[in-house]
Amino acid sequence: MRKYLAAYGIALQNVLQRRSSLIMDRVGGVAVLASLYYFWLALMNGHKGFFGYSRAQMISYVLAINVLRSFVLTGRGWELVGDISGGRISSYLVRPMSYAGYSLSLDLAQKTVYLGSAVLEIAIFAALVRARFYVPRHWSAWLGFAAATAMSSLLFFVMEFMVSSLAFWTSESGGPLFCFELFIQFAAGAFFPLDVLPKVIRRVLDLSPFPYLVFFPINIYLERARPGETLRVLAIQGAWLAVMVFLASRLWRRGLRGYAAEGG
Amino acid sequence: MPCIAVEGLTKIYEAPEKEPGFLNAVRSFFSRKIRLVHAVNGLSFSIEEGELVGFLGANGAGKTTTLKMLSGLLTPTSGAATVLGHVPWRREAQLQRRFSLVLGQRSQLWWEIPAQETFRLNQAIYGVPEADYRRNLGELVDLLDLSECLNVPVKKLSLGQRMRAELAAALLHRPSVLFLDEPTLGLDVVMQKKIRAFIKDYNVRHRATILLTSHNMDDVAELCSRVVVIERGRLLYDGGLKDLAARYARHKIIRVDFAGPAPDDLSSLGTVVSNGGTRAVLEVPREKVSERAAELLRRWPVEDLTIEEISIDDVVRGIFSGSERGAAS
Repeated sequence: MRKYLAAYGIALQNVLQRRSSLIMDRVGGVAVLASLYYFWLALMNGHKGFFGYSRAQMISYVLAINVLRSFVLTGRGWELVGDISGGRISSYLVRPMSYAGYSLSLDLAQKTVYLGSAVLEIAIFAALVRARFYVPRHWSAWLGFAAATAMSSLLFFVMEFMVSSLAFWTSESGGPLFCFELFIQFAAGAFFPLDVLPKVIRRVLDLSPFPYLVFFPINIYLERARPGETLRVLAIQGAWLAVMVFLASRLWRRGLRGYAAEGG
Repeated sequence: MPCIAVEGLTKIYEAPEKEPGFLNAVRSFFSRKIRLVHAVNGLSFSIEEGELVGFLGANGAGKTTTLKMLSGLLTPTSGAATVLGHVPWRREAQLQRRFSLVLGQRSQLWWEIPAQETFRLNQAIYGVPEADYRRNLGELVDLLDLSECLNVPVKKLSLGQRMRAELAAALLHRPSVLFLDEPTLGLDVVMQKKIRAFIKDYNVRHRATILLTSHNMDDVAELCSRVVVIERGRLLYDGGLKDLAARYARHKIIRVDFAGPAPDDLSSLGTVVSNGGTRAVLEVPREKVSERAAELLRRWPVEDLTIEEISIDDVVRGIFSGSERGAAS
């Protein structure tokens, strides 16, 4: 465990050291936040609610997206792809540690910084635009939201790890990850609440792990979930996590068997 | 039991092939031709504890592939190997804690932050107790002259400083087996000397077993009394560095001092290396050397004539370049 804590520590320093990259990432995040906010504000002009969301709930959904983008839909996928295709994972594979555990430590370090930054951005943004957002009345919504967000962060890490592992087979390895990232923004509800979609598409999406990454955790926060819904979401997230861990570890092991350790 | 034992080790890669040009790019998009490359082909050798062995061969001979199999990065297609009694590609932590792989072109240091942070990370990864860490680090900083580099971000270090920091990161846990791939690549002469002195010292001081690949002749000549030479994945030679020339040089050198001016045309006797004044140097096929020496003595008045082996440098350089001149193929 000590080695992963050490990796977390060094990665935290590294994220903070790469100031310009951090600032650019966060500016991009704020741009998405502002555009979604004004988009929904324009749509709801004159309406009290939209698709069953009150005005405050919809504003909160948009603000919460910024938090979940930073804590859930953020990862080291591209670095992992580069490490595999450029042969850089070699130096980790010869050391007595698990590359997945090491990668998770680095992922958490980045998420720690991004989460802190996202909360600060929302506070400043909400104060500037005087946004009225939704505050859950019951502590269980806070607790459920925190638990579901932690689970979805882990689930996204494993899914992204799995997709990035395809770099063992595809020399032009960015392709699968690029498609994954693009699709996930839409399917997880990171652009808009999934209630907006036609019912058929919703039903299909509900059979996938994607809505459990962003849409359901935010709905728990907004107290739109029926009693018992939180536990159901957590259970399904747990089941998907188990499936993804199984698939990702099999894929990783197979990838390593054929690994060519290219690039000297 | 040898520290490193390799028996019939073979690695076959599948390499995609593509002819140049746009049409061929389209064709290869739909059907890709695969070529099988025998990077290592039935290689066998063994190394005892404390030996420092040079692992030589031309580019693409299979040296790095072998090192990668011995460090567990690659699984061989067939054959067997053990390092300290472990099968390396099982990647057991007990083995990983006892060896290090240093690839000259690869860095394990974190680029944006000082090397000291990577050292701390390695301390945690290898579970080095604090007292041992301080002692080992102090020793490495002294020997590798690293004191001024410890708190500087790695990206600000010179190539030589970075290579020394790289060695320190790889040796903090005192590995008893070390695989070094081109440790002096790209370094200036002074820095090369420092690194070589350090490797020798580490080998003697800790009785470490070291397998070293290098294209730098000075590395090999200064460090390795034994060399393993491979060509196209097969063992070509395994033995003393000195015996290598005697066994693999196809030519010998005849130096001749004539009583008068050296004859203009000596090419019928061998390859003329130099010819000026009263002296000429010829490179002559090994089996013809007595006959050509006798001919020289018979045809011209000669004051002195010596027959020499080709220098070890030339033999090894010949092996590196795969040339026919210095070494047998």
